[in-house]
Amino acid sequence: MAEFIKVAKVTDIPNPGKQMLEVDDRLVVLFHVGDVFYCVDDVCTHDGGPLGDGELVDGTIACPRHGAQFDIKTGEALCMPATENTIVHQVKVDGDDVLVQINDE
Amino acid sequence: MTQAMTQLGFTQEAFDALLQARDEPAWLQEIRRESWQKYQQFDWPARDEEEWFRTDIRMFKLDKFNLPLEQNSIDNMPTGLLCDGLELGGQSISLDGYSAHSELSADLASKGILFGSLAGLVKTHGDILRPHIERQIVDRDTDKFSALNAACWSGGHVLYVPRGVVVKEPLHVLSVLSNGGADLGKTLVILEDGAEATLLTETESESDTAEGLHCGTMEIVLGTDAHLRYVSLQDWSPRVWHFAHQKAIVGRDSTLQWTMAAMGSRLAKVNQHVALAGEGAQTQVNGVLFTEGKQHLSYHTLQHHEQPSCRSDFLYKSALQDKSRTVWRGMIKVDAEAQRTDGYQRNDNMLLSNSARADSIPGLEIEADDVRCTHGSTTGQVDDELIFYAMCRGFTRKEAIRAIVIGFFQQIFDRITIESVRDALGDAIARRVREYD
Repeated sequence: MAEFIKVAKVTDIPNPGKQMLEVDDRLVVLFHVGDVFYCVDDVCTHDGGPLGDGELVDGTIACPRHGAQFDIKTGEALCMPATENTIVHQVKVDGDDVLVQINDE
Repeated sequence: MTQAMTQLGFTQEAFDALLQARDEPAWLQEIRRESWQKYQQFDWPARDEEEWFRTDIRMFKLDKFNLPLEQNSIDNMPTGLLCDGLELGGQSISLDGYSAHSELSADLASKGILFGSLAGLVKTHGDILRPHIERQIVDRDTDKFSALNAACWSGGHVLYVPRGVVVKEPLHVLSVLSNGGADLGKTLVILEDGAEATLLTETESESDTAEGLHCGTMEIVLGTDAHLRYVSLQDWSPRVWHFAHQKAIVGRDSTLQWTMAAMGSRLAKVNQHVALAGEGAQTQVNGVLFTEGKQHLSYHTLQHHEQPSCRSDFLYKSALQDKSRTVWRGMIKVDAEAQRTDGYQRNDNMLLSNSARADSIPGLEIEADDVRCTHGSTTGQVDDELIFYAMCRGFTRKEAIRAIVIGFFQQIFDRITIESVRDALGDAIARRVREYD
């Protein structure tokens, strides 16, 4: 099991907002919504598009290329053309720090 | 040279140190300076460019590496796979682009053949090599990587075969990367009219876990009625970034048989371009890709028919394990004057796991009206009935899958005329096949 890695300060990311990060040689997107943080791979499972460049609406992120949508809490693919979930990473807040545990599936 | 001098990254200071350290002709240094300016003007490829759409290099950081400014050494130098048991006409080995060993038989040397380190031979035989370097067979203006190589190539290899000389013994080139090293090799192959040769090139890392960067070019020029059999094996460690531009110019009535196998690197982005530049030229390109882990291999081929009555036959086969991915984009381009063209391209992909992915994008761009151009692509998984049949005959599941994968590639292996090379490639792939449910 990978360790939690400090990736940002709570105040670094607006609420609601998102930020693309490099964590442990991997690109992920950290979301800040309603005082809670979520983290998913920065990869649309349809064709590898960068989710971090997409639009965040009501707890979903849309791929900027073809509009596939994913639930930022579960990584579930919510609409075509994506049919496979994207990978979710564990997040915890320790004081002012946001930490991510990479899910190395 | 001090340690500090070798840790300058790819800065202006590093480039100036490279120029200063090299004892080479003024014309070559001028090309380097012009290319460095081009390199600085280029942006890194954008993700919305079609060519880079499926290949994500955001994790590639050039500043993690350093311009190789001096000869390096390692304790255990790899020896390669392709030359076991072969009687070679010559061998050229480099480490991080710098020549580590070079030899050519006295018989071949007496015929005027040049073979060995490009950095060395450009100083002693600049009159022969200069026109081929100046013409930029690989256009340095293609992208940031091509400009970087043109400016900073640190070494590489050269094979020059004079007019009418036939080389029967294979020549072997091995490029090795040290852990954390960078190889900006430039390899130049020139066969004059009526010449013939067999060239084997391969790449290897210091260890299976060695990180590295390869930003290279491969340039081939065949005159009239010249014939080259070329086998290349890319076997970098899975932590190497591999960017390459390869171009062959095939002259009138010449033939190029190019068999390439790619099994290594973390991410590979290779442009392979064959220009059929003389009437009656022929090329056969055979590609084998085998990937595992999270490897990403992206090959972009162009078979460019510039003159009439030429024939090209490109066949790429990929087998993918784990979460690996391949991208193959192939284009047959036929100019208006290239009548009576016969062009073929095909890409077959075998997915060995449910998480692997192969993108296959064949294309045609035809301006002539008397041509035959066909292309095709297939993607599928291993047939369970084949596995069942093999297991009924006493194979374990792993043995069955291994036999099916080797059989999948056999069509390409059969085209390799050197038996030991054929076996070496087959064995290298077979060793990597794992068992899947």
